[in-house]
Amino acid sequence: MEPIVTVSGLWKIFGKKVDAARELAAEGADREQIQAETDCLVAVRDVTFDVHAGETFVVMGLSGSGKSTLVRCVSRLIEPTFGHMEVCGTILADASDTALRELRRSKMAMVFQHFGLFPHRRVVDNVAYGLEVQGVARDERHERAREVLTTVGLDGWGDHYPQQLSGGMQQRVGLARALAVEPEVLFFDEPFSALDPLIRRDMQDELVTLQIELQRTIVFITHDFAEALRLADRIAIMRDGAFTQVGTPLEILTQPADDYVRAFTQDAPIAKVLPACSLMRPVGDVALEESWPRTTETATLESALPFLLSEHRPVVVCNADGDPLGLLHQDDVAAVLEQNLR
Amino acid sequence: MSQTVAAEPGASAGAPAVRRRSPFAVGLAAAAVALVIVGFVASVDAFPESWNLGLADPIDRTRRWLINNQTSHWLYTVLLNPLTDLADAGIRQLEAILRWFPWYVYPVFCGLGLWRVRGRVAGALGLCGVVLIGMTDLWQQGFATLALMGVAVFLSLLAGIPLGIAAWRNDRFAGVLRPTLDAMQTMPGFVYLIPFVLLFGIGRVPALIATVIFALPPVVRLTDVGLRNVPGPMVEASEMFGATDRQTLRLVRIPAARPAILAGTNQTTMLAMSMVVIAAFIGSGGLGQDVLRAMRDIDVGEASEAGIAIVIMAIILDRFTRGIATLGERGRGPRTNAHADGSLRAADTVAIRWIAAATALVALVGGIVGHNRFPEWLQWHYAPYINDITAWARDNLYDIGNSGIGTGPLSDFITVYMVTPLRELLSSGIPWPAMIGLGVLGGLLARGVTLGLGIGVALFLIGWLGMWELSMDTLAQTLVAVAVTLAIAVPLGIQASHSDRFQKLIDPVLDFLQTIPSFVLLVPVITLFHVGRIPGIIASVVYALPGAVHYTDLGLRRVPAEVHEAATSFGATRWQRLRRVELPLAAPELMVAVNQMIMLVLAMVVIAGLVGGGGLGLETVNALRRSDAVGRGFEAGIAIVLLAGILDRLTRGVADRLRPPAAA
Ligand SMILES: Nc1ncnc2c1ncn2[C@@H]1O[C@H](COP(=O)(O)OP(=O)(O)OP(=O)(O)O)[C@@H](O)[C@H]1O
Ligand SMILES: [Mg+2]
Repeated sequence: MEPIVTVSGLWKIFGKKVDAARELAAEGADREQIQAETDCLVAVRDVTFDVHAGETFVVMGLSGSGKSTLVRCVSRLIEPTFGHMEVCGTILADASDTALRELRRSKMAMVFQHFGLFPHRRVVDNVAYGLEVQGVARDERHERAREVLTTVGLDGWGDHYPQQLSGGMQQRVGLARALAVEPEVLFFDEPFSALDPLIRRDMQDELVTLQIELQRTIVFITHDFAEALRLADRIAIMRDGAFTQVGTPLEILTQPADDYVRAFTQDAPIAKVLPACSLMRPVGDVALEESWPRTTETATLESALPFLLSEHRPVVVCNADGDPLGLLHQDDVAAVLEQNLR
Repeated sequence: MSQTVAAEPGASAGAPAVRRRSPFAVGLAAAAVALVIVGFVASVDAFPESWNLGLADPIDRTRRWLINNQTSHWLYTVLLNPLTDLADAGIRQLEAILRWFPWYVYPVFCGLGLWRVRGRVAGALGLCGVVLIGMTDLWQQGFATLALMGVAVFLSLLAGIPLGIAAWRNDRFAGVLRPTLDAMQTMPGFVYLIPFVLLFGIGRVPALIATVIFALPPVVRLTDVGLRNVPGPMVEASEMFGATDRQTLRLVRIPAARPAILAGTNQTTMLAMSMVVIAAFIGSGGLGQDVLRAMRDIDVGEASEAGIAIVIMAIILDRFTRGIATLGERGRGPRTNAHADGSLRAADTVAIRWIAAATALVALVGGIVGHNRFPEWLQWHYAPYINDITAWARDNLYDIGNSGIGTGPLSDFITVYMVTPLRELLSSGIPWPAMIGLGVLGGLLARGVTLGLGIGVALFLIGWLGMWELSMDTLAQTLVAVAVTLAIAVPLGIQASHSDRFQKLIDPVLDFLQTIPSFVLLVPVITLFHVGRIPGIIASVVYALPGAVHYTDLGLRRVPAEVHEAATSFGATRWQRLRRVELPLAAPELMVAVNQMIMLVLAMVVIAGLVGGGGLGLETVNALRRSDAVGRGFEAGIAIVLLAGILDRLTRGVADRLRPPAAA
């Protein structure tokens, strides 16, 4: 599959003596040492990854680990210090202002942690903003904006101002605003962390459903491991600016690279958050039997547990149309849960 | 975590810089102390007259030369006269347009406008107010004032908003602009008139230019601040959608900064209003001229009619520009129900539209037919009643029942026990070198070497200009007025901070007082206190009071509730809590209040030169009245600016000192 976003050797160093800081980092010095010696802060440290078309790539890390800086570099809201980045075939380092603007208008969009909505514009004008900037006529962009508002469940709220909406609804506006321009790549910078837990849960479910339908390429930032498990095709764990492990949820859970990652896996309520599809194996040439229990791809592992515990048969994971996507085996699930309990 | 680490070096580098004693500072302090000692030992008193910069003569000569060449020199024929004519034509044209409409358009539309932005009561009052202006036969003067105002505000905004945008875009420019605006705002409006009189003579155009410049700072400053305060995420969001810088500015930044820009527009309008009135001194015409003429004749009745017309206009303009600023915010507030914030019922909106449409229709017909004069049969003067009241007040309030209580004894008391001794102390009690030495020490303590040196130089300059004695007179009046204001304002502010009900009660009164242009305040005061230094001081107190109360209240209210509770939990009485906890915590805010107060008082004390206030104000008034006194007036103007600068920097320095160290 073609990568849509390619990042290699990306560094972002805040401060003046960036070269000295990078050398120290190459010698293995940690953030505090580098800061003490050069007065530079290494916010992103030699990060490399690809994101494929239709994939949801989640970057998980604690506060201050450099996630926002990373996503801002990749969207070039700030300039990276070193590194190569490519989005939809455009090499960002070479892109002129015009080319970058063009790329942003047609290919990418971002949803922000604190929504970044425009308080002086009605909801519909917020959603239509990207189109307005592109020069789309008023009627047309409003029509499109109202369509998208319907998609995110805000039918009829277009004429309100953002502040009149609840937090969850405001972030739906943020999401609609990003979707309205039909971007290829969507960046999410902790979009749900300002919401309370129940609403956050709803929004996550909604994003999963939307993603099944829209199949966008998503780079999603979060500090919530459960959220990462729920949404991700692949997860990158970030610590002090560097990626400590990149892998599928299954890999992360079953083979944590170090104690830092393991600490996360042990706290996660795996069965509740992990979707059934994240542990499934390809059907291959196994002949499916009619009697095998079935589950949907968005269902959690927990909902498949009764079948797995009671009978020695795999569970078939199907998509919304009932087509089989893969098989869930008792051994895999047991291994993950065991790891989790250790 | 790492954020605090990053911030610490900066913070710790900043803190000791304030306290560091450089050898230079020690030397300066020693020199200042020496000056004080020498001053007292040698017992010099008056600033030597032979030490005079002699600025007045060249200025007067320039003035004469300018008058003689006004019709021939290219500076005038090519540059200034066409400019003058253009500005004059603009004002005339606007005035003509204003006069073209039938008279009833004004009360109706003012009423409707205020109804729309502030509700029915405000609308009704607005309507009556405008009618009252017409009734007292001030319709034409009102138009003259309004036209001058309109052009001035338009030009101020035209220059101010782009300047604000430029300041926001370019930090270096902002670095130059901000101190300039600061300096501009410390100068009393009156002083602005002098250079333009020098250049243009008297008339509407120098008045216009002085007004535009005087009114400029708030809109520049607030445009800059508004744009800078647009939240980063909003701008990022806009950029992320591929907006060009221009699109982001037009679609996001300026709309987001709109409330600030409109607040600036409101302040600019109010400054322009007060300046247009003061500019009557140089022949701006209009309502100010009527007040001025009546005040010269001590005809309080006439002065009141014109003064009240000005106040009505000021209040309507203020409420209207403020209303527009808040109108856009309605419905955007955080989830309120539509009517709770006093916004209009739908029926009202419909009514307003219909009345407006009907009036416009009638006006269109009326405008063609005429009706543009305020009808004679509606005229009614209340000046005679005011004069009766004044006479009564003079006879009866001056010394109520020979009891030693009344305005007379009060003004005697202030004169004998406050103003005169202080003036004598400042001008002859403390020898001038000692005064300079003390000023330097004050500056050193308040901020450091630069301020100390600056104050020393400024004080010496004042003497060198030949303005020592007059400046000390003005300084004495200012200090007395500030002391009286503080004595009244602080208790009121404390009370207001403790009781929401009391605050609600005095708020509208203060708000009203604040809207009155400074010059007009003199009218009621001379009713009660005759002429002399006292009316100036009293008017200053009234003028500075609202701000002082407001800042005291604000400062005390900022003290966190937890601190209150903590103090109370240790068993502090209310008085102990106030003295030990609240006042110290509010001290920086109070010092800001003192700073504002001094600036307002000084501006007023200068204007009071008109009603016998003496000091620097009198010289300035003379300069504007007689063309041969421009030189002296110019010197006095510079002295006022220097004095204002000294007092401003000194109080701000102290305010900064009182601020607790900022959190890293
Ligand atoms: N403009 C800047 N200048 C200097 N340091 C910065 C700047 N922006 C971010 N940093 C620092 O870089 C580090 C990483 O910041 P970043 O905002 O990327 O963290 P994050 O992982 O997004 O954290 P959070 O979960 O709090 O959003 C932090 O230590 C931060 O203080
Ligand atoms: Mg962040």
